[in-house]
Amino acid sequence: MFFLQSLLSGILTGGVYALAGIGMSLVFGVMNISNFAHGDLMMLGMYLAYFSFTLLHIDPYLSLLLIIPTAFLFGCIIEKVFIHRIINHPHQNQILLTIGLGLIMSNSALLCFTSDPKILTTSYSSSAVHIFGGISLSVPLIVSFLITCGITGILYVFLSKTTTGLALWATSQNREAAQLMGINVAKMSAIAFGLGTALAATAGALIAPTYYIHPMAGHTFLLKAFTICVLGGLGSVIGAGVGGVIIGVVESMSSTYLSSDWKDVVVFIIFLAVLLLRPQGLFGKKGEQ
Amino acid sequence: MKKKVISIVAAALLALPMLAHAAPIKIGFINSITGKEAQIGENLTNGAAMAIEDLKAKGIQVELIKEDDGGDPKNALAAYEKLVTRDGVIGVVGPYTSGSANVVASRADQYQVPLLVPAAAKEDITMKGYKNVFRLNAPANVYSSVLMKAVASYKPKTIAYVYAATDFGVSTVKTAQENAAKMGLMEVANEKYQQGQPDYRPSLAKVKAANPDLIFLVSYDADAILLMRQAKEISLTPKAFLGAGAGYTTAQFAQQTEISNLVVSATQWTDDVNWPGAADFARRYNAKYAKEPSYHAACAYEAMRIMVETASKSNTAAKLRAGLKAGSWNGILGPVKFADYNGFTNQNNHPMLVQQIINGKYETVYPAQFSKQKLVYPYTR
Repeated sequence: MFFLQSLLSGILTGGVYALAGIGMSLVFGVMNISNFAHGDLMMLGMYLAYFSFTLLHIDPYLSLLLIIPTAFLFGCIIEKVFIHRIINHPHQNQILLTIGLGLIMSNSALLCFTSDPKILTTSYSSSAVHIFGGISLSVPLIVSFLITCGITGILYVFLSKTTTGLALWATSQNREAAQLMGINVAKMSAIAFGLGTALAATAGALIAPTYYIHPMAGHTFLLKAFTICVLGGLGSVIGAGVGGVIIGVVESMSSTYLSSDWKDVVVFIIFLAVLLLRPQGLFGKKGEQ
Repeated sequence: MKKKVISIVAAALLALPMLAHAAPIKIGFINSITGKEAQIGENLTNGAAMAIEDLKAKGIQVELIKEDDGGDPKNALAAYEKLVTRDGVIGVVGPYTSGSANVVASRADQYQVPLLVPAAAKEDITMKGYKNVFRLNAPANVYSSVLMKAVASYKPKTIAYVYAATDFGVSTVKTAQENAAKMGLMEVANEKYQQGQPDYRPSLAKVKAANPDLIFLVSYDADAILLMRQAKEISLTPKAFLGAGAGYTTAQFAQQTEISNLVVSATQWTDDVNWPGAADFARRYNAKYAKEPSYHAACAYEAMRIMVETASKSNTAAKLRAGLKAGSWNGILGPVKFADYNGFTNQNNHPMLVQQIINGKYETVYPAQFSKQKLVYPYTR
């Protein structure tokens, strides 16, 4: 029972991690930039969900319909104003810029919303379904997981079937060649960053009903998203999806069989092992750079 | 004429030290204004600000120099060193967290500037014999002992611990284990967790499987809500939830009635005790900040009041230390005296209270002389 309980709850939590990881991986794939503001973009998604719930009385899951386009637009603007200027610069400049943007976001949130953690309490916040053998699964986590699956599916279809998606794919494979083939790579970068931001905000909004909302909340998830990206292979969308679920399950299992104090240790041992044995990540193509 | 000018200048120079003496005394205040503990830090900020206002109304002027440690011990130490060396304060109130307070306390004797800790609970802070460290609140061992005394008459047999991997969490649980051993309670689960994680279900499932009578919890602010939500999810139902940490004593927690009802917690202060000015403080705080004061606010208020009142009578750090050591006060935190007992030095032997959340409101349920309500036991969902 322990095993199944922690496996299932790990998979469900991992689903949300995966969504955060996918956004980061997509940005890296297309733009070759590690976006260290990703966690803070998630935090903004949490606040958007919180305020649409408290002020507009929209259910956090329904509010995704508002949050996704808003975040996409916000991501495009950030790319146009800041990110595109450093796209061909060394990695350390890119990292400093994104860390800086993240700090501005989290500290602005601290000024505007204060450091009081906000709790999003819905009628189903602490409800659970009980299945065979006394296993209970959190209702909001199940809903979040299903939405994650749906969004990942749509993203996959978008990337592999639509012209824009294929252009994004091509840009991620080889930026110069894509440009020579007539693809507007600057536009692709803006779209990729917009998508990445939308995915981060979605992950934030999905976790909001089961977590608390705080200006620094993004930092917890940034490290996870980055670990997931590297584990799955930087730039690989499928890799990030699988990586997220792996991290979720490993955390849950190590909490059950060791101690929750040890779960980060186990996660990072696996992370190091992957880096040593398979530096490009589980599904990676770009990690070798 | 020349001589006259010289004599005026000389007289003015002589008068300068007198002028300096008339300037308000300088006191430092180290607090967690940002960082993980910022929410509780804000309560301390508010409490201290009210104390300064009240003192001004009484004609006591003070220059308060505030420092933020972000909950980080090394920032706290840097803040203390800045306050005593650069700003020249004669006394310091703070820091809030146990980790920070413990580190700053270890240097107070080196700089000989008294430190008054308002709300940090780790025992060590006042157990090392530091002459310049004073503590107003009761240390961590009292949190667990008072909670266990409150439920002792119901004869629980087993206990499980779920707590944050922080200085406060670990030291509170360590003393809780000693108290539990004295009561003959058997430990059936021990789950230490890293703060701020989204998923505590695996730990809680382990606790559920052990089926304890008592669950002893130590958590800071929002983690408390998260843990109790997930406990409800997995239908964890012990005979009592004992919340020792700060997170179980906030108004925000109490408002989550679905998960907070009947949770028992230990606190340094409530507004319905008969300590002089407690109810009035709560009323004024509520009017000013539009929320209930937590015990942190009350502790910070009283610590600041004691520090400034004593400092106003003494113009050096040494005299302030002597004043704190010799003095006794009776205010919103009841009788205060910094005494040496049971291995503690300059520790106020503060009686802690046990409260239970009943329909979103904290009711004092123990000790009997301070309470109007009776403890509801066992816990039901």
